Amino acid sequence: MNNIRPGREVMVVGVGLHPFGRFPDKDLSTLAVEAVLPALKDAGVMWKDIPIAYFGHVYYQGMSLGETTLSKLGLTGVPIVNVENACSSGSTAFWQAYWGITTGLYDMALAFGAEKVPRGPVTVTAEDSPERYIGGDHMMAGYALRGKRYMEETGAPATALAQVTVKARQNATMNPFAHRKDTYTIEEVLNSRMVADPLTLYQCCPTSEGAAAAVLCAREDLAKYGIDESRAVSIAAAVLTSGDYNGRGADHSAFSPYRTEPAALQAYDMSGLGPEDVDLVQVHDAATIGELQQIESLHLFPFGEAWQGTVEGRTALTGDIPVNTDGGLLAMGHPFGASGIRMIHETVTQLRGEAGPRQVANARVGVAQCSGAGDVTTVHILKRG
Amino acid sequence: MTPVSVDPNRLKLTNDDAANGPLAGTLIGFRCKECGTSVFGYSIFCQSCTSSELEPVDLGTKGVLFSYTIVRIPPAGWPGDIPYVLGQVELPQGPQVLAEVVDCEHDDLKIDMAVTLTVRAVPAENGGPEKAVYKWRPAKSGD
Ligand SMILES: [Zn+2]
Repeated sequence: MNNIRPGREVMVVGVGLHPFGRFPDKDLSTLAVEAVLPALKDAGVMWKDIPIAYFGHVYYQGMSLGETTLSKLGLTGVPIVNVENACSSGSTAFWQAYWGITTGLYDMALAFGAEKVPRGPVTVTAEDSPERYIGGDHMMAGYALRGKRYMEETGAPATALAQVTVKARQNATMNPFAHRKDTYTIEEVLNSRMVADPLTLYQCCPTSEGAAAAVLCAREDLAKYGIDESRAVSIAAAVLTSGDYNGRGADHSAFSPYRTEPAALQAYDMSGLGPEDVDLVQVHDAATIGELQQIESLHLFPFGEAWQGTVEGRTALTGDIPVNTDGGLLAMGHPFGASGIRMIHETVTQLRGEAGPRQVANARVGVAQCSGAGDVTTVHILKRG
Repeated sequence: MTPVSVDPNRLKLTNDDAANGPLAGTLIGFRCKECGTSVFGYSIFCQSCTSSELEPVDLGTKGVLFSYTIVRIPPAGWPGDIPYVLGQVELPQGPQVLAEVVDCEHDDLKIDMAVTLTVRAVPAENGGPEKAVYKWRPAKSGD
């Protein structure tokens, strides 16, 4: 059904990150620029070399924000595309950058994302919509429904879900960019304020502000721009999907937990790699249950067994399949437009062997998976060298 | 003023006349004549096979509780009690329907329990007639 025909090999040649957290004194453009400039510097290229840019962001803060933001770097006249795809906006911008280069349209591209998410529970629909009266327009309640059913079907105890947060916080202590750096015990996670049973506050990601950026370039054009090939990371798969029918349909109420599987299968097919080749993974852990179901959908664990793997420490930095090595959404926080590219940043940093105390030994293949409302799913597979 | 259906594509009122007993309604959607899939609410083509051969279908008032959560921090604009129970209910025809579960103690909630539709009037967010909102309650003998 799909006609996925990649052309030239594309590499990530530079990444940049603005810390995630709350920054009342900085506007969105400032956050974005402070991620873009380090990414350009990391790649060793100038803004004037960039032939196209894609900007992921969700909350409306004025029209043509990508253009406004990049105008500070110089008016080069290049196409700048603003991308809104819910929590997958940043990873969708990255996906577009990949496809623009592999098909031969551009030598190079900039993908960046930034967000200042308002405080409070995240809703999807507009004022006076039926969902507001029905009570289902609540991201974390959706995750809670998945969690409740998962626990019933698999026998996973509440402590197994809490362990996902404990691990995320431990990883984040080694990450200077994280929103939350204090660690918790399982008891502290379970005793934090209940949001929607079984999810307590510390099992839900904080909404945040922040920005992330990546520079992509065709492998055959690296020399032309004087880019250091030894630090470039290859993109083995770039997949974006929306909800397929999958036996349930796309009506507002169908919270199918495993929407990631079709995107994962496409990505494995495109890359010629399989779950057994993956050394580390970043997944969409907006809530603890999300991480468990995403790593099952990526076939890294059999369905219903990721909770056991988590309890056994297999997803920890020292485990055989480390998950969310930078702290994930649970500790990094979640600036929607930036999160997808933050995952690319972490994957690239690990594959380069530059992750410092949180470095995964001999990391060769990394997966970054992002989910958004509307069942938007991206799966990217990155490979060293 | 007579309450209006919160979404006429999902809930058809069968009684909105207070003088004639409580609010009542039934869930509606479309059924595909080619593959048999039923969809809750409005669809232009079949969500499963994309056929245009859809017929309106009455999805009734019965289901089972696939999952539930007790929401303690509500979303913006929630007009009801806090906490409230949000139920994910599977209809016999296949679709799942999210709505509040009412008239049930938290301790009595059980996954896979039988539930029945009930329709309640809720004040409108921006004034105007009340909304008739579909909710679930535990099934009783005689439903
Ligand atoms: Zn059909």
